[in-house]
Amino acid sequence: MPTRKLTQLALYTALSLAIFALESVIPPLAPIPGIKLGLANIITLVLLERYSPRDAFLVLLCRILLSALLFGQALSLLYSLAGGLAALLVQMCLRKRLGRRHLCLVGAFGGLFHNLGQLLAALLVTGTLGVLAYLPHLVLAGILAGLFTGLCASFLLQKLPPV
Amino acid sequence: MQTNDNRKLARNLSLVLAACILASLAVLLALRFAPRGDGPLQADIYRDGELIASIRLDQVTVSYTLPIEASDGGRNLIEVRPNEIGILSADCPDKLCVRQGFRHDALYPIVCLPHRLVIRLSRETDADGTDAVVR
Repeated sequence: MPTRKLTQLALYTALSLAIFALESVIPPLAPIPGIKLGLANIITLVLLERYSPRDAFLVLLCRILLSALLFGQALSLLYSLAGGLAALLVQMCLRKRLGRRHLCLVGAFGGLFHNLGQLLAALLVTGTLGVLAYLPHLVLAGILAGLFTGLCASFLLQKLPPV
Repeated sequence: MQTNDNRKLARNLSLVLAACILASLAVLLALRFAPRGDGPLQADIYRDGELIASIRLDQVTVSYTLPIEASDGGRNLIEVRPNEIGILSADCPDKLCVRQGFRHDALYPIVCLPHRLVIRLSRETDADGTDAVVR
């Protein structure tokens, strides 16, 4: 990887880590595990748009591992991975098919699949079907939060200078 | 041509999202107005998917606390009250389980994801106990 790109990706990783840290200081929106804005997804969307799925994957993975190390959230590493990778995968596929104008839609599906991935992880980890009771909350929250991060990403892309 | 395809796909995907939102809202509404049942309220405490305690909350007369240690050393302090149960304190980072408060109906479980702890509430509504064992 050329040094210039490596540096840029490192900066994006630092940025997403900062966004993640900032969000973890905000009190949770609802007392249900998994309901949050997921602002760090803005970076994933921007990277998918400006770089490649592979780069987005690298930055996401670094962000998740670093946040687990830095903020002592190793307990939730599994949930972050399940949600983050599910979201990346679906956003990657959709971005390939949809234009930039539909970034909100891509983000909404990302949010939805993030929460579905996390719920699946929770289901496997707790081994208790009872957690499925939160499925409707998580579907709603995921779509709304994803729409929001998609909107943020489109605004950001308009302002960013070309690569 | 490609933009045409794009637009159609985008429209279909939007419809899928709208359907998800409507279905979720419908389920939430249905749950809100569903009959709650009036059988005895029971709390089942699961750790790592294993049932470790079952408490008939209607038989509790004096509140007491119940410390639970997770398999990774994490701690939750559960308080059992007459007809209510909740988590008083925990050493997980987000404390969402504590914020879920005390529950006195069988609608939603209390979940502490970091410690793999689930408190499931149920009421035996029918004689056949359809609601009794769902794991």
